[in-house]
Amino acid sequence: MADFTAAVYQNEFLPDGGTDVHAIVTVDCTGAGAAGQTGTGDAGEIIIVDTSGSMGREGVQAAAFAAQTALDQILDGVWFAVISGNDRAQLAFPPSAEPVMVKMDQYTRQAAKDAVSRFYADGGTAMGTWLRLAARVFATVPSLSQKHAILLTDGENQHETPEALTQAIQAATGQFQCDARGVGVAWQVDEVRRIAQALLGTVDIIPAPNQLAAEFSKLIQNAMSRGVAQADLRVWAPQGAEVLFVRQVAPTVEDLTSRRTSINPLTGSYPTGSWGDESRDYHVSIRLAAKGIGQEQLAARVQLTIGDNVVAQGLVKALWSNDEALTTRISPEVAHYTGQTELAEAIQDGLAAKAAGDTATATTKLGRAVQLAAQTGNEEATTRLRKVVDIDDQDTGTVRLKRTVEKADEMALDTASTKTTRVKK
Amino acid sequence: MDVAMTSTTDPVCPSCGGHVSTTDRFCEACGAELKPGELAPAAPALDTDTEPTVEIHALPPAGPCTSCGGTVGADGYCETCGTKAAKPRDHFSEQPAPWVAGVCDRGIRHTRNEDAMAIAADPEPGSRALLVVCDGVSSSLDSDVASLAGARAARDVLTAGHAQGIGTESSRSGAIVARLNAAADAASDAVLENTSPDSPNPASCTFVAVVLEDGLLVAGNVGDSRAYWFPDASEAVALTVDDSWAAELIATGISRAEAESGPHAHAITRWLGKDAPDHTPRTTTLRVTEPGWVMVCSDGLWNYCSEAAPLADLTRQTAAAHGGDPLATASALVDWANAQGGQDNITVTLARV
Repeated sequence: MADFTAAVYQNEFLPDGGTDVHAIVTVDCTGAGAAGQTGTGDAGEIIIVDTSGSMGREGVQAAAFAAQTALDQILDGVWFAVISGNDRAQLAFPPSAEPVMVKMDQYTRQAAKDAVSRFYADGGTAMGTWLRLAARVFATVPSLSQKHAILLTDGENQHETPEALTQAIQAATGQFQCDARGVGVAWQVDEVRRIAQALLGTVDIIPAPNQLAAEFSKLIQNAMSRGVAQADLRVWAPQGAEVLFVRQVAPTVEDLTSRRTSINPLTGSYPTGSWGDESRDYHVSIRLAAKGIGQEQLAARVQLTIGDNVVAQGLVKALWSNDEALTTRISPEVAHYTGQTELAEAIQDGLAAKAAGDTATATTKLGRAVQLAAQTGNEEATTRLRKVVDIDDQDTGTVRLKRTVEKADEMALDTASTKTTRVKK
Repeated sequence: MDVAMTSTTDPVCPSCGGHVSTTDRFCEACGAELKPGELAPAAPALDTDTEPTVEIHALPPAGPCTSCGGTVGADGYCETCGTKAAKPRDHFSEQPAPWVAGVCDRGIRHTRNEDAMAIAADPEPGSRALLVVCDGVSSSLDSDVASLAGARAARDVLTAGHAQGIGTESSRSGAIVARLNAAADAASDAVLENTSPDSPNPASCTFVAVVLEDGLLVAGNVGDSRAYWFPDASEAVALTVDDSWAAELIATGISRAEAESGPHAHAITRWLGKDAPDHTPRTTTLRVTEPGWVMVCSDGLWNYCSEAAPLADLTRQTAAAHGGDPLATASALVDWANAQGGQDNITVTLARV
C-alpha cells in the first residue's frame, strides 16, 4: 500500500493587516507498487503514433520500432491498444472495426508488434480524432482505474480546426492521462503542450527519429511504475477566504487553479493523476481577512486524497505579529518556486515574442529568464537559454538574441520551460 | 482540603483533574484522550490539580469554535473559520456563585499562560468569597503548572477553614489572617512539589488572596499581583502593596508612573518557590460597609491601569455596560487589557458585594 506524507514550508507570520499566505506543500509517495497490480482496478495503456505522410518511410519505421520497444515494457495483464493517426484515427491493434482493448501477454504482445510493423506513411494530421478514438477505446474496459496514453506527432495539426482540437481535448480531459512527444522540428510546441497539460502529462521534443525508442521505453516504464491509479489534491480554506491559486511547482509548473471541482463550499479538489514513488511540490496561496496581532488561524488544509480517503495532510497557518523580524522573513521554498514560475513564463513569453518578430520584448523576457535561472540555480535552464541568447551579464539579465538558432534548441527551451529544480536544502 | 474529593476513589482526567469513569475514552470536561493505566485515583486534591499543563494534548477541546460556533477539527482548528481552538489552560473562567467570577487568559504576546486563579464562594450574595491569583515567573521552568497548583492549594485551605476566634471582629480578623498564612504555606508547598529537585531554574510565582467573610475583607500578598476594593460611592482602595523594585522606588518618593515604567519595573522582591526566603503574606483588613466590587488581578491587567481610582472607574463602567454581571465584566476587562496590547498573561477575578 502506498504511503503518502505532506510537509509544509511557509512563513506563517503576517504583519498587521496582512492578508496573503503562501506555502509550499511537498507531497511524497513511497511504496506505490506497479500499475494495475495493487488491487484497486486495472491499468490501461494506449500507444498513439503519427503515421501521416510527413513522417516518411524512415520516420514511420523509427516510430514503429519505438512502439515495439514500448510494447515490450507494458506489463503482462495490462489492457492495451495501439492507434495509428493521420487525418483520422485507426485502431492498429487489436485488429477490429470497433473500439476494443486486450490484455497484454506473450501472444498479444507479438501480434501487436507485427501489426505495428505494417505502419506506412500517408495522409494528414488531425490529433483531435486520435484523442477521441483513444477515449472510446478506454471506455470499452469498465474495470480500468488507470488510463494512460503516449502520443507521438511530427507535424502541425493541419487537418482539423483549432476549435475541433480544443473540443477533443476537453472531451478527453479527465478520461485518461497522456504524455505527448514531438519528433523533429515541424510540430507546434503550443499545440502539443495544450494536449499534455490538459491530460496531466508531460511534453518534450525528440529531435531525431533514432531517439524515439529510448524515450518511448522510458515513458512506458514510468507509467508502469505508477501503482496509485488516481489521487487528488484537496484544498480547504476558511469561510470568507479566497484561494488565489493552486499550482504544482515541481517537477514541473502546472497551474491547477482552474481545475477545481467543489467538494463543499470551503473545499476544492484538483486532479493530480496517477502516482509512483515520487515527490511533488505544490504552491498554495490564500487570501484571508486580516486578524489582530497575536491571533492565529488556519489558512488552508492541503490534503492528498484517494477517492474520499485523506492519505496525507499539511496545515498552512497564519499568525499575525508586530515583530518585524518574524514577518519580513521570506520562506526560501516560496521564493524559489515563485522565481521558477516566473522563469517558465518569461521563457514562453520571450519565445512567443521572438516568433512574432518583437525583438525588444523577446530580449527583455529572455534576459529576465536568464537572471531568474541564475538566481534560482536552474542550471539546465541556463544551459538551454545559452543556445538561444548570448549572455552578457546573467545577474542583470543583459542578453542579446543569437543571430542563428537551431530550431530544435529553441523548441527544447520551450518544452522544458515548465521544468523546475528543487530547493537546495 | 476538599473532603468531597478525597472521599472518592474515581479516577481523574490527567489533563484537567476532572472526574472520569474507568470506561471513558475521553474526558467529559476537557475532551482530553484518556489512556487506560494512566488514570490516577483522585486521592489528594493537590496532586491531581497540579497536572493540567504538563502535556498539551493533541485532541481539540470539547465544544464548538469560540469564534464562529463551527466544529473544531481533529487538527485543533475550526473546520469553518480556521480559528485555532484555545487550549484549556490558555483561557479559562470560573464562576462559583452568580456574584463571584474570574477569567484567566494567556494574553497576546506570551505563548503560555502562567497566570492562575482559584476561586470559591457561598451562594448567598456578599456572604463569603475566596479569591486567589498566582502569576508564574516567566524566567522559571514549569511556572504554569506551579502557579495553578499553588492557587488551587491555597483556595482549598481557605475553603476548608471556618475558624472565627472568639467571635469578636478583631479575633475574626486574626483568624482569617492565620488562614491566609496557612494558605500561602500550602501554595508554597504545592509550588515546591512541582519543582524538580535538580531544576536549575525552579518554578516560582506570586500570590494574592482575598477572603471576604461576613463583611470583613482580608487581603494578603507576596509579589506584585494585587487586590482592590472599589466601593460604589466612596474612594477606591488598593488592598495590597507590591513586593517589587518599583514599589520600593515609590516608597522613596518616586512617582508611580515613573517607577512602574523603569527598566526593573517588573522585578519582584518576594515570591513563592524553592529559592524564596520568605513567603508570609502581607495582609490588610477592611470592614465593608457599602456595595462595591472586590477585584483580585495580575499585572497583566494593572499594567494598563495601575492607580486604584482610574481602575475603579474602568471597572464600574465595564460592569455597567454588562449589567453588573461579574463574569461578563471580568471577561470584558481581560478583553480590554488585550486591546491595550496584552503584553502579559491577564487574570481578573471579581466579587460583587
